[in-house]
Amino acid sequence: MAPTSCSLCRDAKAILKRPKTGQQICKDCFFFVFETEVHHTITESELFKPGDRVAIGASGGKDSTVLAYVMKTLNERYNYGLDLFLLSIDEGITGYRDDSLETVKRNQQQYDMPLKILSYDELYGWTMDAIVEQIGKKNNCTFCGVFRRQALDRGAASLNVDHIVTGHNADDIAETVLMNIMRGDIARLGRCTLICTQGEDTIKRSKPFKYAYEKEIVMYAYFKKLDYFSTECIYSPDAYRGHARTFLKDLEAARPSAIIDIIHSGEAFEVKEEIKAAQKAQQTCKRCGYMSSNDLCKACTLLEGLERGMASSVITDRARKKMDAIGPAPDNIRTIPLFRSTPTIAVELPSQS
Amino acid sequence: MLSCGNPAVEEQALMPRRSKFGKSKDCVRCRLKPGNIAIRHAVYCKECFTPIVDMKFRKALEPSVNARAGTSKRPKLKASGNLCLGFSGGLGSSILLDMVHNTYFSNRPPLDDSGKPRGGINHPRNASVWPSCIVCYVEVCGAFPGMQDRTEAIRSVVERYPSFDFVPLRIEDAFDESWWTKVSGSNSTPQVWLELSKEGLITDGLHVASKVTGLTPAEAIRLYLSSLPTQTAISSALQNLTRVLILHTAHSGGSSHLLFGSSLTSLSISLLSAISQGGGYAIREELQEEWAPVAASGSKPDNVLRVIRPLRDVTAKECAVYAWWNNVFVIGRDKQRRAILGIAALTKNFVVGLEKDYPSTVSTIARTCEKLEPKDAPSGQCRLCKRPMQSAIQEWKGRISIRSYSDDKLAADLAHIPLPCRSNLDTSTPCQVPPLLALTDFLCYSCHTTLTSRSSRGVKQSAPGVSSITPLPIWVGDRGLHRDGLMDGGARRKIPEQEMLDTVANFLIDNQDDKE
Repeated sequence: MAPTSCSLCRDAKAILKRPKTGQQICKDCFFFVFETEVHHTITESELFKPGDRVAIGASGGKDSTVLAYVMKTLNERYNYGLDLFLLSIDEGITGYRDDSLETVKRNQQQYDMPLKILSYDELYGWTMDAIVEQIGKKNNCTFCGVFRRQALDRGAASLNVDHIVTGHNADDIAETVLMNIMRGDIARLGRCTLICTQGEDTIKRSKPFKYAYEKEIVMYAYFKKLDYFSTECIYSPDAYRGHARTFLKDLEAARPSAIIDIIHSGEAFEVKEEIKAAQKAQQTCKRCGYMSSNDLCKACTLLEGLERGMASSVITDRARKKMDAIGPAPDNIRTIPLFRSTPTIAVELPSQS
Repeated sequence: MLSCGNPAVEEQALMPRRSKFGKSKDCVRCRLKPGNIAIRHAVYCKECFTPIVDMKFRKALEPSVNARAGTSKRPKLKASGNLCLGFSGGLGSSILLDMVHNTYFSNRPPLDDSGKPRGGINHPRNASVWPSCIVCYVEVCGAFPGMQDRTEAIRSVVERYPSFDFVPLRIEDAFDESWWTKVSGSNSTPQVWLELSKEGLITDGLHVASKVTGLTPAEAIRLYLSSLPTQTAISSALQNLTRVLILHTAHSGGSSHLLFGSSLTSLSISLLSAISQGGGYAIREELQEEWAPVAASGSKPDNVLRVIRPLRDVTAKECAVYAWWNNVFVIGRDKQRRAILGIAALTKNFVVGLEKDYPSTVSTIARTCEKLEPKDAPSGQCRLCKRPMQSAIQEWKGRISIRSYSDDKLAADLAHIPLPCRSNLDTSTPCQVPPLLALTDFLCYSCHTTLTSRSSRGVKQSAPGVSSITPLPIWVGDRGLHRDGLMDGGARRKIPEQEMLDTVANFLIDNQDDKE
């Protein structure tokens, strides 16, 4: 049987089938369409302006490694005029994050970008190892997720950047749409399909891989021979998200367009005005100054629970009220430093070889 | 990205299993008798259970019965038209029949000596909420060779309720001109054909069937279903055909209300399934809709049909118990149709499985979707599913993925195409990009995806000698495809030069003036 020619250039031999479109294409065309689609996502949403300082959330995993590579490529190809940084968060997970951070450090050399690593230990006085030791594996993803979001913002503030880009891909967004519907999280459902979010007084966050299939990201990393870390987190028992992910993979197997169809659904609807009006207004945390919908932000609440030895009982609002009823927080507990968007922490520059 | 996550579920991470009921084993309503059934941790006795389900049913239906809400807290119920019930033979619709009959049609007014209602038929006391009720059943055996025809069995079920009139429909009616003439009054609707293998569904693939093709409606539905690219598409197409057949039948019969027996469980499944198939824009219609066929003039008529799911607060488990304790006969749905795999079936397995560990999931999905509305105003009604349609769907699809180098949007990027791929590049003629006037512009995202989205296993090839074109449901050709510029007697119409000149005449500088 004669080899199939690429459906795009109609010249080279097709060596892969695009998961997103089902087209059989050659390697060079795949690189071109993948990068150009990300470029279109960036330009049509007007994510950046020349001179922006942009931090790339880097974990050493496939998504962030490909993101760093593609951002660097596009920045040079289309003259975005961006100052790119790598920003990593060290959650303090022995045997997982310490290994993946080694990959990030290699990426720093390979892509010639400044790197900033901010640790939970440095910011909160707790590592994930210590948190899991106190609360067990159940719900530990809640702590990690809340702490990471704030740590990223604080790391970005210390780098004095305007923007954080993260490697959330189309699969992640589709999964989040399903999750938010299944658990009734209206506030997150309303904003999870936005390409760019910005809280008051915080840095913009964007997802340039919003329409990129996870499989294509893996394919890109494989063909480009990119150096990434592929082990799953050792404390990752978010069972509910695991169910949603398995379901999404089944949908994708039945019809590959399901991922993009879910994102389209998520973009097509919005929360009714009367429901939005009843939601809590955004304010700043009275303890650390970070954005919050209550007097205390979620990170401060969780940290107080850890410090008071009641961590497992502060996951829900009702449990939080119970803790408050016991009495006010003692004065001697560790708290998160006041949030300021000024550079305070030194940046590690890549060594010139 | 800094996310983590392992789909493999560890034992310790699972939610602890809660006890089946709350603190007491006694009925939470009467607090006297021991409970017989636990519904989401609340226990009910047999006597209290049925009134609770009846109350949920009425609470979901009655606020929508009167055409206008009015100001009275307990208004007298009076519908503006007849009632139509969609019946599949399944658990939900069987209970629906029973409840509607017992609540609104079984209490006949007292008769006088002559056998007529006391005070006359027109006495307010003797007036029914709906003057009459029809029960529509759509038989799908025509789509699947060898499948048993269940119409008579269904008829025997409906005949148990003497107040209801049985209206049997067949799935192939969707391709039957005589049925369409009956419900729409239009007798010149062209049968539209489509070349499904072409991406973009361009108008060149559209044809008007000539009378000599000789395809029976049953052959047409089979050809249509066999042309669809995935099992998901077949399942979705059957669901849409059934829905639109009942909608038109109800509307043409003067019904003001159409009720479906979707339980909370099946409603949540269909909501999640619709979202997974790109139907987020019409999510409100999946819950409750006000429907009317768009008239030839493009406007909607006054007599709007309200589509309501009165069992939307009753779970499948409650339905099953209700049917058992109230001796409701359930004939069941046909097994062959249920066996069709695809996104709908996957969603059902997922939701039912998840509900065991997370019992509030089903309710949460429905409650969350009730809080949503479409972002933009609709640009019309989809020709296939007859639901509101979002604008700029093709632009969105074109924006998120590059399918051809001839796309205008790529003009600025072509300089960056790798050198080895440039030699054979032809960007002069647009290919695969839908032209301005294409059927794609008249389909909603979900229907367009149904017709075009393929499985990862590759494209289904037509057998040699078999035509790759397929008929579309008869209503696609309604409301003037000619007017929309899609068709003129055959394929796309070539506009005569004179007509083009007339159109642009006002913008041309008169040559005569120059000569003078």
